[in-house]
Amino acid sequence: MVYPGAVAQPWTERRDRELVWGLVPALIMLASLTAGPIAYLWLTSLTPLNLAQPATQWNFDQPLANYASMFGDPRFANSVVVQVKLSIASVVLQLLCGLGVALLLHPNTKIRTVARSGMLVPMVLPPIVVGITWLALFTVDISPIHRLFAWIGLPFGPLLTNPSTALWAVVFAGTWQHFPFAMLMSLAALQMVPEGPIEAARIDGASRFQVFWHVRLPFIAPTLVVAGLFILIDSVKAFPLLYIMTDGGPGEVTEVTNYYVYRQVFTFSLWGYGSAIAVLMMIAVFLLSYLIDRITRRNDGAWA
Amino acid sequence: MKPAWETRFPNWRGDLFTLALLVIVLFPFVWIIQLSFRAKADIFDSAILFAPTLENYRALWQGNFALSFVNSIISATSATALAMIVGVPAAFALSRASFRGAHRIGLWILVTRMAPPVAFTIPLFIVFRYLELHDTRTGLVIIYLTFSLAFVIWMMKPFFDAVPRELEEAAAIDGCGTWKTFLTITLPLTGPGLAATAVLCFIGAWNDFFFALILTRTHASTAPVAIVGFMQYVGWEWGRMAAAGTLVMMPVVLFSIVVRKYLVHGLAAGSIKG
Repeated sequence: MVYPGAVAQPWTERRDRELVWGLVPALIMLASLTAGPIAYLWLTSLTPLNLAQPATQWNFDQPLANYASMFGDPRFANSVVVQVKLSIASVVLQLLCGLGVALLLHPNTKIRTVARSGMLVPMVLPPIVVGITWLALFTVDISPIHRLFAWIGLPFGPLLTNPSTALWAVVFAGTWQHFPFAMLMSLAALQMVPEGPIEAARIDGASRFQVFWHVRLPFIAPTLVVAGLFILIDSVKAFPLLYIMTDGGPGEVTEVTNYYVYRQVFTFSLWGYGSAIAVLMMIAVFLLSYLIDRITRRNDGAWA
Repeated sequence: MKPAWETRFPNWRGDLFTLALLVIVLFPFVWIIQLSFRAKADIFDSAILFAPTLENYRALWQGNFALSFVNSIISATSATALAMIVGVPAAFALSRASFRGAHRIGLWILVTRMAPPVAFTIPLFIVFRYLELHDTRTGLVIIYLTFSLAFVIWMMKPFFDAVPRELEEAAAIDGCGTWKTFLTITLPLTGPGLAATAVLCFIGAWNDFFFALILTRTHASTAPVAIVGFMQYVGWEWGRMAAAGTLVMMPVVLFSIVVRKYLVHGLAAGSIKG
């Protein structure tokens, strides 16, 4: 008698042994490039490291001093508040714009199919170019936007040097750059909504808005949640636009946590303190990734 | 009765709105390109028509922008090649392996991709000082691997998942080894996926600003960092900055037109977003 399993078992075992050799180089590289540095980052965060004083490198006398000093640091607290503002505004605006454009481009007409590709342009541009473009567009004496508003009688001053508008100007540029991502995710999800329930709702006399709210939205909601988490994580990494457009200013109104770490380490040479904040950021990002992983696995088993 | 054109374009209202929106969205992109062709005197002029000039591009060529452009090409290409050579077999192994822990590796790769760059930059900056990799292309390639390797694995695995296993099983029964089967049967079937992954990986490294800003100074500085240099040393030369920006974004725009079908998946991987 032949047991199918009796033949298959040794084959998959042998295969697994061979497959491991394909993984080993990648795992060694990933470990030395990511796990290693992160472990080193954590060690640094326990020291008062300053590169000008080599003795500080392995000084573990007060391992938690950096973590403790975060609590008494108003500039750090400010950076967290700025970060939360930037993150919430980015997630909400990018999801709204992305979903709105996706609903417009969802029908399959020739023009809209072409527009779907055209809308992707901002997303692939190098962030530095996006930064320069919007810096120019927010500069009063050369910007056509400023000229247009002056022409219709609603002139406004420079937004990037005004503390109450600087952050929102950067968020606006960031939304322009990143909305296509939410648009792509929404378009893909809209394509998966079955026609049956939509037809049924229409026959029952539902308005366009009701069809969207009661039929389409519940279907695409899980995708929107995942897209929102991706946007959230990326907003934690915000850097190039801020560097080009405001340099964290005016004052500290656009200094997000990521930018604060950059300043602490590469301007003030406070390596230990900067590392401690970076460790906290890693933990936050890890929790968010875990959440994405849980949601996408529950949905379809793919990674995302 | 409706006029003939209205029956041919039943959705004309939406189409018209789409076109208007597309023009608005692409306006900044087109505007910065035209700015690069304006002479110094025309930059502050609001006239739509102007005499185009290559003055800004010529000035770039005479400065040391060309060197940083070459640096960008070399480091992005090398990082892509290395990440593909190491990452593609790993993605295949993760797709086919039945051993436990494969999912944990997947989560680890996700975290790597999501991690804030500053978390890797702090420790690697210190290590690079000891290894004298600071301001070298080799150093840049190494740091680009922190995200491109994870990206290649994450992007390629679903392509391998989609290839039916029956083909490989048939080859295995004929005595073909696992990796020979991979090279002769599975890999050719994922050609478009490989091309898209390589292109997106290249764009990710090409678009990098943060790592190059911190880890390079003069010898290995890339094109995006060189643009910032103008702002700091030459002053507000808008025409020249626009020209440099146009040069830096051209390869990316051309490449993404080639692989637009696969952008959905690749951009979800977040490698391009900065």
